[in-house]
This record gives sequence, C-alpha cells and structure tokens, in this order.
Amino acid sequence: MSSFSHKAIIQDNTWYAPDIFCLKVKLPGIEPLPGQFFQVRVSEELDPFLNRPISVARYERSVLHLIVRVVGRGTTLLSRKKPGEEIVLLGPFGNGIQPARIKSVIIAGGIGVAPLLHVAQHLRTSKVPFMFLYGARHKRDLILTSEIRHMSDQCAIVAEEGYKKHRTVLQELSARSFDGFGRAYACGPRNMLVALQRIRLPMPVYAFCEDFLGCGCGLCLGCAIRYKGEYKRICEDGPVFELSEIDFNG
Amino acid sequence: MVKIFNISFRNRVFTASGVFGFGLKYRRISNAVGAVITKGITLKPRQGNPPPRIFETPGGLINWVGLENPGVDVFSKQIIPELKKLKTRIIANVAGFKVDEYVQIVERIGDRVDAFELNVSCPNVKEGGAAFGQDPDVVGRVVTKVRKRTKRPIIVKLTPNFCDPLNIARVCADNGADGISLINTLYGIAFDVSTGKPLIKGGLSGPAIKPFALYCVNRIRDIGVPIIGMGGIMTGKNAYEFLLAGASAVAIGSAMLRDPWAPIRIVKELKKFMRRGEKAGDGRRRLKKI
Repeated sequence: MSSFSHKAIIQDNTWYAPDIFCLKVKLPGIEPLPGQFFQVRVSEELDPFLNRPISVARYERSVLHLIVRVVGRGTTLLSRKKPGEEIVLLGPFGNGIQPARIKSVIIAGGIGVAPLLHVAQHLRTSKVPFMFLYGARHKRDLILTSEIRHMSDQCAIVAEEGYKKHRTVLQELSARSFDGFGRAYACGPRNMLVALQRIRLPMPVYAFCEDFLGCGCGLCLGCAIRYKGEYKRICEDGPVFELSEIDFNG
Repeated sequence: MVKIFNISFRNRVFTASGVFGFGLKYRRISNAVGAVITKGITLKPRQGNPPPRIFETPGGLINWVGLENPGVDVFSKQIIPELKKLKTRIIANVAGFKVDEYVQIVERIGDRVDAFELNVSCPNVKEGGAAFGQDPDVVGRVVTKVRKRTKRPIIVKLTPNFCDPLNIARVCADNGADGISLINTLYGIAFDVSTGKPLIKGGLSGPAIKPFALYCVNRIRDIGVPIIGMGGIMTGKNAYEFLLAGASAVAIGSAMLRDPWAPIRIVKELKKFMRRGEKAGDGRRRLKKI
C-alpha cells in the first residue's frame, strides 16, 4: 500500500434519505481539502470494475464522511457495507480549494450538497459568514437540513415537490441579492450548473464537477472537460473549476 | 533480468500504453516494472475526443480517449529528458495516421528510447488506427519503412478487430519487426436506451476480454518473434497464463485504473508462479528459455 492507497475500517453506514447514505471511515493522517475525493473500491470482485469517485463531505476526528446517492450497482453495493468491514480507498485526489475568507454563498443541488458541506465546515471553522442555498427534486431527498440551517448565517432549503415552497434552488437564488458577497461555490446536476452559468452572479463561482472517472489520478485521460478552451482532466486539474470558463458543450 | 528483443529488462511485466501517461507521475511504479510503454505519440499534438470518454461495462470498460497527447516535438524536447531519469526501459508507442507519419515520429525520437511500439490498432481515431492494422499490406509498408530508419527494436501492436492477427503478425515478422504486442482494445459500443443514441463507441478492455486476448496470443505463438501479451491482466496468475499462451512479456492496462499499484503486485505474484512452474518441470519449463 502506498501513500494514497488505504485500507480502512468502516465505522458507520447510515441512511440519510431513501437513496442517500453516509459512509463513515476511520482514516487518520490525511487533511483533505474541500473538493477532493476518494476512489472507493466497490467490490473485490472484478465487476463492477472501476472504483467510484466520492467527494469528501466532512473530515472530523480522523473520520471521513462520504455521502453517496444510490444510482447504480456500484453505489448499491457500497450502501450495503457494514460497520467493521474493511474498504479500500485511493486518495485524496483532485485539487481541493481552501475557501477564501470572503462572505460566500453556497449553491447545492441534490447530492451536490455533499462536497459543499465540507466547504461549509471550513467556512464555519474560519468564522467566515455564508449563505447556504440547497434544493432537491423532492423533500425526501433533502439531507441534514437542521444541521445546515444551524451552521449557516443565512439559509434557504427548497424542493420542487413535497415541500412548503415548490421551487428550485436557482429560483430561490434569483430572488435574493448578493451585496457584500464575494464568492460562490456550486455543485449539482449539469443542468443546474449550465443555468447558473447563464445567471452570471456578480462574483467568482467555483463549480464542483463530476464525471465517470477511470483512474481518478490523472493517468488515463478518461475524464475530460473543456475549460478555458482546452480539455482538462476533471480528476487532476479539477474537480473544482471556475464556472464561467467551463464549456459544457465541450 | 530477462532478455527480450535482444535487450535486457528487469522483469516481464510492463505498463501498457494509455493508462500510465509517460510513467513520470508515479516513478516508483515505473522503476519496478520491466518497461514503461508510453501513451501513444502522434506527429502533432492532439486534444483527444470530447467527453464522455469512459463507460464501465461488466468486468471492464469502453474508452474513447482518442490519443490525447502533446505531440512528438514536446515528447522529444520535454518528456524524454525526464524519462532518462527513470530506471526502467522506455518503449515509445507511436501512432500515425499515414504511413510516413510513423517514419517521421520514429526519426524525431531517434535512439533516445529503448524500443518502439507501432500502434496500428487504435480503435478511437477516424483515419489510421485500427483500420490501418487490419490491412496486411499497409502494416507491411509501415514496418518496412520504419525498419530502414531505426536500429532500435520495433514492436507492432496489433488489433484483433475484424481481422486475423496471425496474417498481420506474419507480415510484421517478415518485414523486420522484432516483436508483436497484442491485443489492443476490442470494438465496443453502449447505447442510452432513453434517447436511443449511442453513449460511447470505442475500445473495450479489462478482464472481460482476457480469454480472447489469450486466444490471440496463443494463435500467433509460433510467429518467430517475441510477443508482449496484454488484455485484462489483473493478477500474477493472469500474467502467467499469457506466458503459457506464448508471450515473453506482459503489459498491464485497465488493472491500473482500479489500482495504480497493480504492476508491482503482479511482478511479485508472477515470480511465484514462474518458480512453481519451473519446479513442476512440465511444458512450463520452456518458459525459462524465452
């Protein structure tokens, strides 16, 4: 095992929503930055073949929190892991970011909330005020809502269905003013990021991107994103990019 | 140490082209294997294909990277000096779109690498690539022309797609090639059933293709030049199977996506299998002679 290849013990695996769970893994001695991710081995069998890239949602007292939405067979197998089981993780990979000490807004769509919780944790620790805008398709998909409300200076949590306000996170965003804010961090479905790009917020917006990854560490060139006119690797050059410079039609 | 193509290698496990860049990022891995086969090098820089470039399949994946690389000039000026610092053999994978491009790339690199692997089998480019490698006449011309310009070993990487690698391998050996690498990825396609459109069309690799890769290696085993076998090798046992099929060395590809350290593990595991094979003293003994 090398410096980035870890065998760790699962401490806890809890459902946060009908298809969202949080895997907690004891992993001392790492200092992942917001945006960084791990390549998680799903099975010791050869199918599913590739590791799953999962961003760090929190790192506290040597315990890594990985919040995952079940989308296919790989994530289903991960959801069945039990405390005490051993798991192989490679990482942390990717260029994380150290959130700037500027009043910030966090824009989370769906499971995109996961890496942004880590941003929020950093902002909180350095006492930087922030607004947390969080939306999901349905109320039942929203996770950790009371914690988010508690940690944010301003907060709006919305859902398109099943909630008191039927609206999207971007509708919520459009209804607000951002005087005094200097940074935005966004993560969510591609459509949300495309729409957010059109809104042109009056501050730099850092987008946390995702894709199917091969190696996750810059070797296979399998994850490409057109950024500033050329292909960059999401895993190694990102996954955090300045939103205005991304060409989603790549 | 083992001698293949008349040069010595630390061991029989190489890293395959395309999954390990130029071997500069994780030097400990490069220095533990017999050789690093570089990412495909083209005459001009290439941006590669638009995303998505990867699609997972049962026991493997389809890739459509499209030979993204900085081109031969950057490779010669900036990358080779770095490669010189590695304690391993470097095999430059050369990808042309016309016969003459292979010659030009090989000339520009000169004798600053240990060997060339001529990639006449990339499934992910429009011209050249696999279509080249399916035609014995074209492959023969590439090998003949390159042979005149270099004294370094020439290994030809063959496609098994829609052609018999035995015919092509014979042409390579007859025209002066020193070795054959096979197999390159198999053609593969995946559809999005919600739109009815293809999601990806590219090269299939991984353990799912291993039995076919072994068959191909075995089919050309008596060709008379050494074979680098590849296709879905995950363990030392798998590597040993390729040696049994007729390969002199193996290359590790997709396994590195799952575990970049796989080659180091495979080197250790293969050693055990070879020792056991020698003791067994059956048909496996011939491995010692390779």
